[in-house]
Amino acid sequence: MAQIHYEDIHEGADIPTLEKTPTTRTLVQWAGASGDFFELHYDKEFAKSMGFPNVLVHGRLEAAYLTQLLTDWIGPKGEIKKISVQYRGNAFPGEKLLCKGKVTKKYVKDGQHLVEAEIWVENPAGQRITPGTAVVAVPSK
Amino acid sequence: MTEKKLATLDEVRSHIGRKREESMEIDGTVIRAYCECIGDANPQWKVGIAPPGLVTTAMISSGAMLLGVPLPFKRSVAGGADWEFVKPIKKGDVIHTSHEFVELQDKSSDKGPRALMVYRSTHKNQKGETVAVSTNTIMTY
Repeated sequence: MAQIHYEDIHEGADIPTLEKTPTTRTLVQWAGASGDFFELHYDKEFAKSMGFPNVLVHGRLEAAYLTQLLTDWIGPKGEIKKISVQYRGNAFPGEKLLCKGKVTKKYVKDGQHLVEAEIWVENPAGQRITPGTAVVAVPSK
Repeated sequence: MTEKKLATLDEVRSHIGRKREESMEIDGTVIRAYCECIGDANPQWKVGIAPPGLVTTAMISSGAMLLGVPLPFKRSVAGGADWEFVKPIKKGDVIHTSHEFVELQDKSSDKGPRALMVYRSTHKNQKGETVAVSTNTIMTY
Protein backbone atom coordinates (compact mmCIF):
# COMPACT_ATOMS: atom_id res chain seq x y z
CA MET A 1 0.00 0.00 0.00
CA ALA A 2 1.42 3.38 -1.03
CA GLN A 3 2.55 5.82 1.65
CA ILE A 4 1.38 9.42 1.33
CA HIS A 5 3.53 12.19 2.84
CA TYR A 6 2.70 15.60 4.28
CA GLU A 7 4.32 17.31 1.32
CA ASP A 8 2.05 15.41 -1.11
CA ILE A 9 -1.12 16.75 0.51
CA HIS A 10 -2.70 20.06 -0.47
CA GLU A 11 -5.60 21.98 1.02
CA GLY A 12 -8.71 21.47 -1.11
CA ALA A 13 -7.54 18.10 -2.45
CA ASP A 14 -9.99 15.21 -2.58
CA ILE A 15 -9.40 12.01 -0.64
CA PRO A 16 -9.78 9.01 -2.97
CA THR A 17 -13.40 7.84 -2.83
CA LEU A 18 -14.25 4.53 -1.17
CA GLU A 19 -17.35 2.76 -2.47
CA LYS A 20 -19.45 0.44 -0.31
CA THR A 21 -22.76 -1.36 -0.83
CA PRO A 22 -23.83 -2.86 2.50
CA THR A 23 -26.44 -5.62 2.17
CA THR A 24 -28.75 -7.17 4.74
CA ARG A 25 -26.02 -9.81 5.11
CA THR A 26 -23.55 -7.04 5.99
CA LEU A 27 -25.95 -5.74 8.65
CA VAL A 28 -26.19 -9.22 10.19
CA GLN A 29 -22.39 -9.48 10.17
CA TRP A 30 -22.11 -6.04 11.78
CA ALA A 31 -24.67 -6.91 14.45
CA GLY A 32 -22.70 -10.05 15.30
CA ALA A 33 -19.34 -8.33 15.21
CA SER A 34 -20.38 -5.23 17.11
CA GLY A 35 -22.99 -6.56 19.49
CA ASP A 36 -25.48 -3.95 18.27
CA PHE A 37 -28.67 -5.98 18.14
CA PHE A 38 -31.11 -3.05 17.92
CA GLU A 39 -34.09 -4.43 15.96
CA LEU A 40 -34.11 -1.36 13.70
CA HIS A 41 -31.23 -2.93 11.78
CA TYR A 42 -32.66 -6.40 11.06
CA ASP A 43 -36.43 -6.47 11.71
CA LYS A 44 -38.32 -4.80 8.86
CA GLU A 45 -41.64 -4.78 10.75
CA PHE A 46 -39.95 -3.06 13.70
CA ALA A 47 -38.38 -0.53 11.31
CA LYS A 48 -41.81 0.15 9.80
CA SER A 49 -43.28 0.66 13.27
CA MET A 50 -40.71 3.42 13.73
CA GLY A 51 -41.70 5.06 10.47
CA PHE A 52 -38.95 3.72 8.21
CA PRO A 53 -39.61 1.87 4.93
CA ASN A 54 -36.90 -0.71 5.57
CA VAL A 55 -34.21 -1.66 8.06
CA LEU A 56 -31.43 0.92 8.36
CA VAL A 57 -27.71 0.59 7.87
CA HIS A 58 -26.03 1.10 11.26
CA GLY A 59 -24.63 4.61 11.57
CA ARG A 60 -21.55 3.18 13.22
CA LEU A 61 -20.98 0.91 10.22
CA GLU A 62 -20.91 4.06 8.08
CA ALA A 63 -18.43 5.54 10.56
CA ALA A 64 -16.33 2.39 10.23
CA TYR A 65 -16.32 2.89 6.45
CA LEU A 66 -15.07 6.45 7.03
CA THR A 67 -12.19 5.16 9.17
CA GLN A 68 -11.27 2.86 6.27
CA LEU A 69 -11.47 5.81 3.86
CA LEU A 70 -8.82 7.48 6.02
CA THR A 71 -6.56 4.49 6.71
CA ASP A 72 -6.53 3.60 2.98
CA TRP A 73 -5.46 7.19 2.25
CA ILE A 74 -2.87 7.88 4.96
CA GLY A 75 -0.98 4.60 4.48
CA PRO A 76 0.77 2.39 7.02
CA LYS A 77 2.72 5.22 8.65
CA GLY A 78 -0.26 7.53 9.03
CA GLU A 79 -2.45 7.74 12.15
CA ILE A 80 -6.03 8.83 12.65
CA LYS A 81 -6.12 11.29 15.55
CA LYS A 82 -9.77 12.34 15.72
CA ILE A 83 -13.03 11.72 13.93
CA SER A 84 -16.39 13.37 14.48
CA VAL A 85 -19.53 12.35 12.59
CA GLN A 86 -23.19 13.25 12.60
CA TYR A 87 -25.87 10.83 11.48
CA ARG A 88 -28.20 13.11 9.52
CA GLY A 89 -29.76 10.77 6.99
CA ASN A 90 -30.59 7.13 6.55
CA ALA A 91 -28.96 4.48 4.41
CA PHE A 92 -30.76 1.33 3.40
CA PRO A 93 -29.27 -2.07 2.50
CA GLY A 94 -28.46 -2.46 -1.18
CA GLU A 95 -27.71 1.21 -1.71
CA LYS A 96 -24.33 2.20 -3.08
CA LEU A 97 -22.65 4.52 -0.58
CA LEU A 98 -19.75 6.75 -1.51
CA CYS A 99 -17.31 7.62 1.27
CA LYS A 100 -15.56 10.86 0.42
CA GLY A 101 -13.31 13.50 1.90
CA LYS A 102 -11.62 16.80 1.21
CA VAL A 103 -8.53 18.29 2.85
CA THR A 104 -9.35 21.54 4.67
CA LYS A 105 -6.11 22.38 6.49
CA LYS A 106 -2.55 21.16 7.07
CA TYR A 107 -0.13 22.26 9.78
CA VAL A 108 2.69 21.16 12.04
CA LYS A 109 2.01 21.01 15.77
CA ASP A 110 4.23 19.55 18.51
CA GLY A 111 6.37 17.94 15.83
CA GLN A 112 3.42 16.17 14.22
CA HIS A 113 2.40 16.78 10.62
CA LEU A 114 -1.35 17.08 10.87
CA VAL A 115 -4.06 17.25 8.23
CA GLU A 116 -7.70 18.16 8.78
CA ALA A 117 -10.40 17.01 6.41
CA GLU A 118 -14.12 17.05 5.84
CA ILE A 119 -15.37 13.50 5.47
CA TRP A 120 -18.79 12.20 4.57
CA VAL A 121 -20.92 9.31 3.35
CA GLU A 122 -23.04 10.14 0.31
CA ASN A 123 -26.19 8.20 -0.65
CA PRO A 124 -27.34 7.47 -4.23
CA ALA A 125 -29.31 10.75 -4.25
CA GLY A 126 -26.07 12.66 -3.65
CA GLN A 127 -27.03 13.64 -0.09
CA ARG A 128 -24.36 13.78 2.60
CA ILE A 129 -26.08 11.50 5.08
CA THR A 130 -23.13 11.17 7.45
CA PRO A 131 -20.95 14.29 7.40
CA GLY A 132 -18.02 14.75 9.71
CA THR A 133 -14.49 15.93 10.24
CA ALA A 134 -11.18 14.16 10.80
CA VAL A 135 -7.65 14.92 11.94
CA VAL A 136 -4.85 12.63 10.78
CA ALA A 137 -1.07 12.61 11.22
CA VAL A 138 1.10 11.65 8.26
CA PRO A 139 4.88 11.27 7.88
CA SER A 140 7.03 14.00 6.39
CA LYS A 141 9.64 13.23 3.69
CA MET B 1 -44.42 -6.76 20.39
CA THR B 2 -44.53 -5.55 23.98
CA GLU B 3 -44.61 -1.78 24.38
CA LYS B 4 -41.77 -0.59 26.58
CA LYS B 5 -42.69 1.87 29.32
CA LEU B 6 -41.25 5.27 28.59
CA ALA B 7 -39.45 7.25 31.28
CA THR B 8 -40.01 10.89 32.16
CA LEU B 9 -37.17 13.30 31.42
CA ASP B 10 -36.53 13.60 35.16
CA GLU B 11 -36.29 9.82 35.46
CA VAL B 12 -33.80 9.73 32.57
CA ARG B 13 -31.84 12.59 34.15
CA SER B 14 -31.56 10.60 37.40
CA HIS B 15 -29.38 8.12 35.50
CA ILE B 16 -26.71 10.72 34.69
CA GLY B 17 -23.44 9.44 36.11
CA ARG B 18 -24.40 5.78 35.68
CA LYS B 19 -21.29 3.80 34.70
CA ARG B 20 -20.57 0.34 33.36
CA GLU B 21 -17.32 -1.31 32.47
CA GLU B 22 -16.47 -4.04 30.01
CA SER B 23 -13.34 -5.65 28.64
CA MET B 24 -12.39 -7.31 25.39
CA GLU B 25 -9.29 -9.06 24.14
CA ILE B 26 -8.42 -7.93 20.65
CA ASP B 27 -7.53 -11.27 19.13
CA GLY B 28 -7.19 -12.34 15.52
CA THR B 29 -10.79 -13.53 15.33
CA VAL B 30 -12.14 -10.15 16.38
CA ILE B 31 -9.95 -8.32 13.87
CA ARG B 32 -10.86 -10.73 11.06
CA ALA B 33 -14.62 -10.51 11.74
CA TYR B 34 -14.45 -6.71 11.62
CA CYS B 35 -12.37 -6.59 8.43
CA GLU B 36 -14.58 -9.14 6.66
CA CYS B 37 -17.71 -7.25 7.64
CA ILE B 38 -16.63 -3.87 6.33
CA GLY B 39 -14.59 -5.27 3.43
CA ASP B 40 -11.24 -3.85 4.58
CA ALA B 41 -8.43 -5.90 2.97
CA ASN B 42 -5.62 -3.63 4.20
CA PRO B 43 -2.62 -5.96 4.79
CA GLN B 44 -1.64 -3.85 7.82
CA TRP B 45 -4.40 -5.53 9.84
CA LYS B 46 -2.79 -8.95 9.28
CA VAL B 47 0.48 -8.08 11.01
CA GLY B 48 -0.69 -7.37 14.51
CA ILE B 49 -2.23 -3.91 14.27
CA ALA B 50 -5.94 -3.42 14.91
CA PRO B 51 -7.88 -1.17 12.53
CA PRO B 52 -8.67 2.02 14.49
CA GLY B 53 -12.33 1.73 13.63
CA LEU B 54 -12.60 -1.66 15.26
CA VAL B 55 -12.72 -0.56 18.86
CA THR B 56 -14.16 2.87 18.37
CA THR B 57 -16.98 2.21 15.95
CA ALA B 58 -17.74 -1.39 16.65
CA MET B 59 -16.81 -3.66 19.47
CA ILE B 60 -16.65 -1.67 22.62
CA SER B 61 -18.34 1.66 22.08
CA SER B 62 -21.99 0.76 22.47
CA GLY B 63 -22.30 2.30 25.90
CA ALA B 64 -25.91 3.16 25.26
CA MET B 65 -26.93 -0.47 24.88
CA LEU B 66 -24.87 -1.61 27.85
CA LEU B 67 -25.96 1.09 30.29
CA GLY B 68 -29.65 0.51 29.61
CA VAL B 69 -30.81 4.03 30.46
CA PRO B 70 -34.58 4.14 29.76
CA LEU B 71 -35.79 6.23 26.85
CA PRO B 72 -38.14 9.20 27.33
CA PHE B 73 -39.69 8.95 23.86
CA LYS B 74 -40.74 6.08 21.60
CA ARG B 75 -38.16 6.35 18.85
CA SER B 76 -34.39 6.52 19.01
CA VAL B 77 -31.57 6.68 16.48
CA ALA B 78 -27.84 7.37 16.64
CA GLY B 79 -27.28 11.11 16.42
CA GLY B 80 -23.51 11.40 16.13
CA ALA B 81 -20.18 10.44 17.59
CA ASP B 82 -16.68 11.71 18.26
CA TRP B 83 -13.58 9.57 18.66
CA GLU B 84 -10.14 10.58 19.80
CA PHE B 85 -7.43 8.02 19.06
CA VAL B 86 -4.64 8.31 21.61
CA LYS B 87 -2.52 5.19 21.03
CA PRO B 88 -2.60 2.41 18.44
CA ILE B 89 -4.32 -0.81 19.50
CA LYS B 90 -2.49 -4.06 18.80
CA LYS B 91 -3.52 -7.67 18.44
CA GLY B 92 -3.39 -9.24 21.90
CA ASP B 93 -4.26 -6.04 23.75
CA VAL B 94 -7.01 -6.28 26.33
CA ILE B 95 -9.15 -3.15 26.16
CA HIS B 96 -10.96 -2.08 29.32
CA THR B 97 -13.72 0.39 28.62
CA SER B 98 -15.60 2.59 31.05
CA HIS B 99 -18.92 3.92 29.76
CA GLU B 100 -20.84 6.73 31.42
CA PHE B 101 -24.19 8.37 30.70
CA VAL B 102 -23.13 12.01 30.98
CA GLU B 103 -25.83 14.31 29.68
CA LEU B 104 -29.48 14.71 28.69
CA GLN B 105 -30.43 17.64 26.47
CA ASP B 106 -34.14 18.34 26.09
CA LYS B 107 -34.64 19.63 22.55
CA SER B 108 -38.45 19.43 22.50
CA SER B 109 -40.22 22.16 20.58
CA ASP B 110 -43.56 22.89 18.92
CA LYS B 111 -42.47 20.34 16.31
CA GLY B 112 -42.60 17.60 18.92
CA PRO B 113 -40.64 15.86 21.65
CA ARG B 114 -36.92 15.39 21.12
CA ALA B 115 -33.93 14.83 23.37
CA LEU B 116 -30.25 14.02 23.03
CA MET B 117 -28.69 11.44 25.34
CA VAL B 118 -24.90 11.67 25.53
CA TYR B 119 -22.59 8.79 26.51
CA ARG B 120 -18.82 9.00 27.04
CA SER B 121 -16.46 6.01 26.90
CA THR B 122 -12.80 5.78 27.87
CA HIS B 123 -10.83 2.86 26.47
CA LYS B 124 -7.63 1.71 28.22
CA ASN B 125 -5.24 -1.11 27.40
CA GLN B 126 -3.89 -3.75 29.77
CA LYS B 127 -1.11 -1.36 30.84
CA GLY B 128 -3.66 1.22 31.95
CA GLU B 129 -2.82 3.51 29.03
CA THR B 130 -5.72 5.39 27.49
CA VAL B 131 -5.95 4.31 23.85
CA ALA B 132 -9.15 6.11 22.83
CA VAL B 133 -11.94 8.32 24.12
CA SER B 134 -15.34 8.39 22.47
CA THR B 135 -18.62 10.24 22.80
CA ASN B 136 -21.86 8.89 21.37
CA THR B 137 -25.11 10.78 21.11
CA ILE B 138 -28.49 9.08 20.81
CA MET B 139 -31.41 11.15 19.54
CA THR B 140 -34.80 10.13 20.92
CA TYR B 141 -38.09 11.55 19.67
